[in-house]
Amino acid sequence: MRVPFVKEVHDATRYGFAVGKVRVLETRVFRAATYERLIDAPSFDEQRRILSETPYGAFVEGAATADDVEAGLERALDEIYGFLVTAGLPDPVARFFRVRYDYANLRAVLKARLLGVPADDLLVDLGTVDLETITGPTPGLPENLRAVAEGLEPVDGEDAVEGASPIAPERIDAAVERAMFEDILACAKASKSRFLRDLAALEIDIANAKTAIRARRRELDASTLSGLLLPGGELEVADIQGAYELPFEEFIEVLARAPQLKGVSAQDLLDAERLDVATDGLAVRFLRSGREVAIGPEPVIAYVMAREAEVRAVRTLLIGKLAGLGPDALRNRLREVYV
Amino acid sequence: MNDLLWWGISGTDWALIGAGVAAVLGGIGSAVGISVASNVTSGILSEDGTKFGKLLPIAAMPGTQGIYGFIGAVLVLIFFNLLGGQVDLPGALGFKVFLACLPVAFQCLVSAIYQGLTGASAARIVAADQPAPALIFPALVETYAVLALIVTILMLLGLQAAAQAAGAL
Repeated sequence: MRVPFVKEVHDATRYGFAVGKVRVLETRVFRAATYERLIDAPSFDEQRRILSETPYGAFVEGAATADDVEAGLERALDEIYGFLVTAGLPDPVARFFRVRYDYANLRAVLKARLLGVPADDLLVDLGTVDLETITGPTPGLPENLRAVAEGLEPVDGEDAVEGASPIAPERIDAAVERAMFEDILACAKASKSRFLRDLAALEIDIANAKTAIRARRRELDASTLSGLLLPGGELEVADIQGAYELPFEEFIEVLARAPQLKGVSAQDLLDAERLDVATDGLAVRFLRSGREVAIGPEPVIAYVMAREAEVRAVRTLLIGKLAGLGPDALRNRLREVYV
Repeated sequence: MNDLLWWGISGTDWALIGAGVAAVLGGIGSAVGISVASNVTSGILSEDGTKFGKLLPIAAMPGTQGIYGFIGAVLVLIFFNLLGGQVDLPGALGFKVFLACLPVAFQCLVSAIYQGLTGASAARIVAADQPAPALIFPALVETYAVLALIVTILMLLGLQAAAQAAGAL
């Protein structure tokens, strides 16, 4: 039997202060008006001037190139993830956010080795493992990353000798993605947060839906697909496999009817660009539900993810402006935003 | 009355237990409720100190239930002359005094915690600089603590009148 109030009082004691901070900080997350100002700014310098009034001011001050913007926003993200620790959230929550950078870095290193090019420019120093370790020899990697690298090494070596097989990079992508989602799911479970577990399941469902549609377009057979689908989502792998043999339009209809993908239409699933926007919208709606929780880790997690989305949007607008894109092109590239 | 009904506890002891329960449970509820609301309001103030004036009443409001429990306890002591040295209340009367204390005791325990949780949510209105009066919502929870206090007072008044009529006071 659940003792009344225990969870509420525990959450208030553990997360109350952080939730209070977030209630103020979330009012400073960019609204549509700020994005419009950044879009309509006549130059990159004007965009920087607008950002100088915001928390990003210090991070993009003096930036002149896309690399400067990337580096500045990377520092901004690092600070945002640091908030999870200072907010007193359990370690697995911070790991949930950072661990995906470890896998992205590992993917970059493995592919760079395969192609015989340096990986330095592709790495992002936001993970739980420092870049020196990631780029070092495989035996020095943490166990979760080492297992992935060792599982690919024979193929990697053969391909390097034979000269860039088109299959190998895809095998790297698939193996790294599978290991990453397993790790993310483990972090979500270890955090004991229902919200984070549901978020991980949603991410897996979205990844599986995209994988299945891509596989179908490339006319891969069902047995190949089963090796690509990730376990741990709410959308049953067996259901996806069952629908995979149907005609393409029917297969898309079945996916669109899945309650886990509510809000994503069949038309969205048919268009790769619309699909990204629709699934981003799915994640944003999920995060909004987290914001409405009165006290608990949910508002803090939702805030951090909102800031992640904000950084992505700012990066899009700054680098787009540097590349000479006009207001309409920039507007089209923005996804549904947090607020 | 059969003495077994009162489990060997004297009437005065029952009355004192009732007064104690009212004061302690109301106080526990208030302490928890204030703690819940204060954690959130402290977080808000750490980012925006200008909101202190609007947040203080929200954090302090669950404290009233502790006061209601205290009032119930003091009324027991006064109405039944326990402060004046009355140490031989009949068992039945003492047990009824104990029962009369329960509404304010339990209602204040629960409502103070809920009021703290409601206050924590209402603090978001202040944090977002919304013009709506955030204090109203936790104040609504207060209504039922007040009603419980009124019920306890009426019960105690009735018991006091009955005891005076029977010559027990």
